[in-house]
Amino acid sequence: MSRILGIELRRSAAAGAVLMLLLAGVILLYVAPQRWSPGWMSVVMIQREYLVLLWPLALAVGAWQSRREHRSNVAELFASTARPRAQRMMPTLGALAIAVTCAYLATVAAVVPWIIGTARYLPATAFVIAAVGALAMIAAAWLGLAFGRLLPHVVTAPALAVAGIGLLMVIPVAVRHREWLALIFSPMFGMGQYTDYQTVYGRVSAAQAIWLAALAGAGAVLLASGSWRTRVAALLPAILGASLAIMVIPRDDKFVATPVDPVAQEQVCAEGSPQVCVSRVHSGLLPEAAPVARQALALLAKLPDPPTTVHEDTTTYYPATSPPRQAEVVLMRITVDEHGHLADKAHILHEMVTTLGANTDGCRGTSSSVPVMRAAGYWLLGREPATDDPEEPPEVNAEAVKLWQGLRSLPEKEVAARVSTVRRAAMACEDLGGLLTGRAQ
Amino acid sequence: MMRTVSAAETAPTTHPWAVHAEGLRVRAGRHLAVDGLGLALGAGVHGLLGPNGAGKTTLIRALATVVKPAGGRLRLLGEPVDGRADLRRVRRGLGYLPQQFGFYPRFTVREFVEYMAWLKEMPKPLVPGAVQRAIDRVGLASKANARMKTLSGGMLRRAGIAQAIVNDPEVLLLDEPTVGLDPEQRLDFRKLLRDVGHDSCVLVSTHLVEDVVAACSDVVMINEGRLVYQGTPDDLIAQGGAGDAGDSPAERGYSALLHRHRAEAAR
Repeated sequence: MSRILGIELRRSAAAGAVLMLLLAGVILLYVAPQRWSPGWMSVVMIQREYLVLLWPLALAVGAWQSRREHRSNVAELFASTARPRAQRMMPTLGALAIAVTCAYLATVAAVVPWIIGTARYLPATAFVIAAVGALAMIAAAWLGLAFGRLLPHVVTAPALAVAGIGLLMVIPVAVRHREWLALIFSPMFGMGQYTDYQTVYGRVSAAQAIWLAALAGAGAVLLASGSWRTRVAALLPAILGASLAIMVIPRDDKFVATPVDPVAQEQVCAEGSPQVCVSRVHSGLLPEAAPVARQALALLAKLPDPPTTVHEDTTTYYPATSPPRQAEVVLMRITVDEHGHLADKAHILHEMVTTLGANTDGCRGTSSSVPVMRAAGYWLLGREPATDDPEEPPEVNAEAVKLWQGLRSLPEKEVAARVSTVRRAAMACEDLGGLLTGRAQ
Repeated sequence: MMRTVSAAETAPTTHPWAVHAEGLRVRAGRHLAVDGLGLALGAGVHGLLGPNGAGKTTLIRALATVVKPAGGRLRLLGEPVDGRADLRRVRRGLGYLPQQFGFYPRFTVREFVEYMAWLKEMPKPLVPGAVQRAIDRVGLASKANARMKTLSGGMLRRAGIAQAIVNDPEVLLLDEPTVGLDPEQRLDFRKLLRDVGHDSCVLVSTHLVEDVVAACSDVVMINEGRLVYQGTPDDLIAQGGAGDAGDSPAERGYSALLHRHRAEAAR
């Protein structure tokens, strides 16, 4: 059997399939590296999303391979041999399973050099997600083998590929609001990352694995069966798998498709002081983030009672989670560039200082607050207020400049006190209008 | 060279005939191509002769267990071959080269013969040696590692024979194996047939009466699904006279038998 498996690996569509799937997978990943550069979880999830193309390709590979028996006219010869059909199919099933699994995992390996220097957080879930992806590929290849056998025609493989893409596209629409159904039956659904902290629930992966294993089993039975009666029996594993998966998948959770991993959000701190921490998923970026954060703290230190710590802003909107508000903690938004490094350090510094280190998320800003905040922030930066928003009415920045000029004519200590007042009011979500003007206290 | 011999190999054969058909009826599509054939074949090389449409291929396909008989009795290697029987044991002892030999074009000769040995459920340790021996016997050793799709017509035929004999079959069925072989290869092939026929039952269908006379110990002639004649090549020659059609004594014997059978059938 092992020797025959070796022959099949060399001579079947397996070798070509590895090349094609690997090439397609790597091209898809490198078309948009910023989608997966934040870390390992991003890589395995985005690759699952690219199953939209890889899964139908695996279907086509199976169908193509299955045509060999028909095309080479071996039925007559093989019908006289002792080995039952089911056993005869084993090396083919094995060779294709090995091929698509290798191609899928090798695609992951192709991004390792790109992010090995910055990606740190590698939870067991990442392996589970990749394993379910490989299982999806096996199921597709085996199902393709079965279809290719039932319809041994040259157009079966391309038609199956198109139908596969169509199916993956239609599933999320067809299930309407029952997202959990799409999560079971579409191996790519819910894999697009809204945040770098997104994960996949273990029970979701379990349900997906059950369904995909059942689908692979149905494909194998369909391929191995010699009569219509056993072909109908192939429905049995499919029905069983679907029912079991529906029982396992969590349904009451509103965010079943976009869950957040709290461990990925945990703050990991840099050595030295002042304290600078980023989320675990971005911990590889601490050496890049810490100097920026400390520079911001140094600028904010002009204020009386200044903030002393920087944490990453791990706010997510869907589901809504946000870090606690603390006066001494400045939040820092971290975005990762396509090379896996901290994106736009200057902007991060600018944002931390011009918000005065105040977390105003969730506050209803008033129009009078904007110039005040900007004037105060630019005073800390030591520059004239400016905006890069072309749609902002010019009066807003003109007002900020006027306020800023007013501040420059006051003694430094007085300004620091006023800016500190603005910061406290901002943290309390109060209206900031008029806080910078008035008589010197 | 020494090898372990299994109990099955040394067990005495309990069946008097390797192939035994009585009143055998086999359909080819709707047509009853073999209709009430009686045949008993033991070890030796049996040449199967008959005009086109006589039922030669259908008979061989039934003996290869590819089509189920529609009626009558058929025993291969002492075991009944009918709708319900488990054919696995019988099939392990079969070698078959169909008229249209199908193969996987990307496999090498060695790989394809090995694959067939696996399909024939040969004991694993025997396979590599048996594959090499089969390839050597058909004279393809120098092409053993060539892809099947690169072989010429004659080489493909020989590769087909190699896969048929790889398991040292007790019943070897060859449907027009000499098509595509050049005269020298035909001579080699006849020698191979005599070799294999020494202790196996070989049934070779052919249109070439000369091949039968040269290589076969026994002649089986059928027409319209029935046995016309079974006897030695010398006896076949004796059937013909100077007035019968044909360029050789054997051909004249063939024509005479066929003519007589048709005349009887017409009555």
